[in-house]
Amino acid sequence: MYYVAKVNSEMCSTHKCNMCTLYCPEANTLMYDKEPKHGNANGTSWVDEDRCKGCAICVYVCSDLLDRNCIEMVMVTTEEA
Amino acid sequence: MSLRYMIPASKFKKYLPKDYVELVDYGPFGKDYNDVGVKNMGTYKELIEEHPMCSGCWMAYYIKIIFASLPNPEDTVTIGTAGCGRLAISQAAVPFIYGNYGDQNAMASGITRAFRLRFPDRHKDVITIAGDGGMMDIGFSMTMHAWFRRERFTTIMLDNEVYGNTGGQESGMSMEGAILKMSPTGKKFGKMPAMQLAITAGCVYVVKMSPTNINKASKAIRRAIFAARTLGPTFLHVYTSCNIEYSIPTNDVFRDAKEMEKGRFAYEEYMTDEAKELFAQIESKNKREVS
Repeated sequence: MYYVAKVNSEMCSTHKCNMCTLYCPEANTLMYDKEPKHGNANGTSWVDEDRCKGCAICVYVCSDLLDRNCIEMVMVTTEEA
Repeated sequence: MSLRYMIPASKFKKYLPKDYVELVDYGPFGKDYNDVGVKNMGTYKELIEEHPMCSGCWMAYYIKIIFASLPNPEDTVTIGTAGCGRLAISQAAVPFIYGNYGDQNAMASGITRAFRLRFPDRHKDVITIAGDGGMMDIGFSMTMHAWFRRERFTTIMLDNEVYGNTGGQESGMSMEGAILKMSPTGKKFGKMPAMQLAITAGCVYVVKMSPTNINKASKAIRRAIFAARTLGPTFLHVYTSCNIEYSIPTNDVFRDAKEMEKGRFAYEEYMTDEAKELFAQIESKNKREVS
């Protein structure tokens, strides 16, 4: 099992924000898709779970600094990751 | 490295690793800085690949900013030495040279001079990136002498105030009284004044900072590289915590960096008059291009 960040894309797309992607210490891990998808109003951040090391700095940025609570840490199995 | 060496023949593309092809198609090579750069991280393929640095490592974060800030990645060479940082620096799509135990600035002196002879018509940026041990302890004499000789390249010190890669010994940059795994009675002398040493030795642009503001961090890196091309040595002293040796929970790493910014890593910038003039020219030109 791995501990990784998961973005709630519906909530994330309500904010035109990519702050979490700017503060993730891992390159090419917390990405931002500018194109709105799945009926969302704006683009959204998304996590490449294979690369995420589970530090939760993105949760600190999204929840503690911005009070938007769009990212949570979850346990995933290798099949899901 | 020249940009054309990066681009594979179209028929060969399908046999190459996916990450390489993505780097060619979606990477920052040959693109305008305003379309890639730090502000757009997460929307293009960054230069660093996966690396073994620890979860939540602020040093890894700053290295990511360095590579996203390069004005000309295809004409850049990085030089590092033993320490945590080289684990990530060596995984970037920018040529990396491993300096043996602190001799990175001596190597950079020779490489910079060789580049000027071999490529007199273009700028080849040379950047040494090493930790506080590699730069101020083991590599101290070579760092200082490169500055005294006014060698034109950029020196970046990733200061985590400990030898993190070898189990937690004190370094010259650890604070007085710091108790670490391998210095259980506490450090007996204070932190070395790296910024003052760099100014005294002749660096034309020196910054001390904790990277919490991405634009400010990127601006300092780019200024240091631009000034090193023509004026003289430049030095960035950057706080990059070791969350393992200083027991900082990973989700508090950013908070810790912000605390440091209020204290001993408060932003300080030094530049000579010549450097000031150069930045005014470059930055006003960039503003005109953007508008």
